[in-house]
Amino acid sequence: MSLYIFYISNFLLLLCLTASLMQSSKIINNKIFTRPGVIVLASVQLISILLSFLILIYLFLISDFNFDLVYFNSHSEKPLIYKFSGVWGNHEGSMLLWILILVLFNFLFALSKRISERFKDITVAVQSIMIFGFVAFLFFLSNPFALNQNNFFDGIGLNPILQDPLLAIHPPVLYVGYVGFSLVFSLAIAGLITKKVDQQWASIVKPWVFSAWAFLTAGIALGSFWAYYELGWGGYWFWDPVENASLMPWIAATALIHCVLILQKRNVMQSWTIILAILTFSLSLVGTFLVRSGILNSVHTFASDPGRGLFILLFIFLILAFSFSLFAYNSEKINKTSSMGLISRGTGIQLNNWLLITILTIVFLGTMYPLATDLLLNKSLTVGPKYYSTTIAPIIILFLFFMFISPRLGWNDTKLYKIIIQLRYLIITSLTITLIISLYFELFNLTEILIIFFSLLLIISSMTASINFNKQNILVRTNLGQNLAHAGFGILMMAAVSNAVYSEERIYNAKVGDNLQLQKYIFSFDKIEQVEKSNYNSLKAYFQMKKDGKLIDTFTPEIRFYSNPPTITSEASILHKFFSDVYLVMNVPQDQQSISVRMHIKPFMTILWLGTLMIIIGGIISASIRIGRFDEK
Amino acid sequence: MTSLVKSRLIKFLLSLIIVLIAVLIIIFNLKDNIIYFYGPTELLKNSDKQGQIMRLGGLVSVDSVQNETDSIFYFNITDGDNEIEVKYEGILPNLFAEDKGVVVEGVYMNDGRFIANKVLAKHDENYMPPEVIETLKKSGKWQGE
Repeated sequence: MSLYIFYISNFLLLLCLTASLMQSSKIINNKIFTRPGVIVLASVQLISILLSFLILIYLFLISDFNFDLVYFNSHSEKPLIYKFSGVWGNHEGSMLLWILILVLFNFLFALSKRISERFKDITVAVQSIMIFGFVAFLFFLSNPFALNQNNFFDGIGLNPILQDPLLAIHPPVLYVGYVGFSLVFSLAIAGLITKKVDQQWASIVKPWVFSAWAFLTAGIALGSFWAYYELGWGGYWFWDPVENASLMPWIAATALIHCVLILQKRNVMQSWTIILAILTFSLSLVGTFLVRSGILNSVHTFASDPGRGLFILLFIFLILAFSFSLFAYNSEKINKTSSMGLISRGTGIQLNNWLLITILTIVFLGTMYPLATDLLLNKSLTVGPKYYSTTIAPIIILFLFFMFISPRLGWNDTKLYKIIIQLRYLIITSLTITLIISLYFELFNLTEILIIFFSLLLIISSMTASINFNKQNILVRTNLGQNLAHAGFGILMMAAVSNAVYSEERIYNAKVGDNLQLQKYIFSFDKIEQVEKSNYNSLKAYFQMKKDGKLIDTFTPEIRFYSNPPTITSEASILHKFFSDVYLVMNVPQDQQSISVRMHIKPFMTILWLGTLMIIIGGIISASIRIGRFDEK
Repeated sequence: MTSLVKSRLIKFLLSLIIVLIAVLIIIFNLKDNIIYFYGPTELLKNSDKQGQIMRLGGLVSVDSVQNETDSIFYFNITDGDNEIEVKYEGILPNLFAEDKGVVVEGVYMNDGRFIANKVLAKHDENYMPPEVIETLKKSGKWQGE
């Protein structure tokens, strides 16, 4: 039985390889190659990969340990959902998922209408060259359907830290984001080949780039949320190399979506948009595969194999070399000089583009520096999180300012003082609130105060801009997506700064019956009990949180002991309130009498997630609205 | 040179200078925030590093863990050749155990003791920080692949 599945699935991979090869040849404009049509071949690509992915899921669900991948990453006693998510909790499976999304985007684009035949052919061909490369890599170098000769009775199991519902959906969401940029890349290459990067090109690209960006944002947010409650360190962002690897394409993509908008509205910045599209996709590849290659050492790394890193590096190098030489060759022909006012919305967006690239450089240097010294000087070191916060914070202040002012400017030269007079009430309100906040909370750090002030400006300005009344006093919604996302970003920044300043932490050794204090709360340690579950045993502590003698909530931090593979995890117990989270983690008892418990007050966490959610929804709205509404000239 | 080329050249040089300045600022900031990693033998050789924040890694020596009170711990970190005594106040991570790999962050004091303010938590029992493997390989005590 297993042998049949082995043959069928490998046949499917070969089928996809063949179809992709035929599809790739469409790059040559000749009748021999352009038939059969894009949709037929794209369907073959999609169906073959979809079937092999379903087969892999089936193998995990029935726990067929004749397959290496299932043996190493699954266990018969694992709950069903984790057998399922175990499919992409490893290198080969996640690679297959990556390819599945790649062919899915290819197929969806092949279906799209109102695009010239030739442009579509070239885009799909470029996309298919990549599909070919990755399927070949999967087939020859990391085949998920490799059989073993032993009759294993049971599998090794999935790392328990990954056994989490959130982590089951985190990789697929993140991958849709990363892979979405592959299509944007293909569109950029097609634009370069046809020498047409214009307003029409921008309107074709817009929905794809916005949805990829929204998914990437959601993927990063899910990973951060997971780290917050599963790692048990009370933080949500650690400037860990793997987190940075996903942040870098996000920063580039954020610059890209704004350039696509300017291109669509004003037909300027063609070259820069193309460079950003190439950069974003290259960084997405780095994001996916540097993590998997084991080059980066991090809490998030699993299933690493340095040998495969080489292929990916080579692939990234080829993509960069090819696309930049094409760019150098054709860039003169795509640039059209049209004017843009000096003090205008375009300039503001351009300046923020530069700031984003600066932030990207900061993150890149911080992430790569330890790698470089390790490889070149054989010296291990880490870059402390303070590097990122102190270097990026001043840039964020400027960035927030331009984010606030740019949408208020027109596309043509605008008088800055007129705008400032127009916005005087808004500025005064924000200034007052900032003053109150900084006096009340005794906040005297200039950087923090300025971030809060400009965030407030941005939030209020974006929110009021989305509520507009026309002459008949009817509510009209203008640029809802943009305003929602911008306000969300302001909220995120404000929450992040306040959170960093006002977090509090206490560590206690506690015995049953103890009363522990944190700020105005009293925690009484009620009892500790052992719990047996199908895939782990756990030690669960019960704390009653009281304020002024009244019971508010019961906390149950937990330590889980997994046996397949043997691992211990701490499960935090969190009370989410609107203005602050209360967060409890316990650790393995040092002796029989007491346990160690760490308590955190994390202010504004709910608001921080809310801001992130607004950014994601804003992105989705912008992706689904075909033409931007701001057409003032 | 035509005026177009000239103005482009000026723009290019100007942005190059700005970028260079920005990169320099970034790198200086980076230098200030670097945390080096040492094994015990390496650290003893570099006694001039006293007083700096750094990471120290190796194996927790057998029978070396003692606690003064509920939350102040003493233990030795070894690479097989040399040992350094570590003092740590706080919660030890779940997977902290004798004869297992550990990485601590803190300051190497001039009395030869390491005051740790962080014991880095790792989640997999079999996981060994790459730096620790490197340290053990250097001292010839590494027994893995």
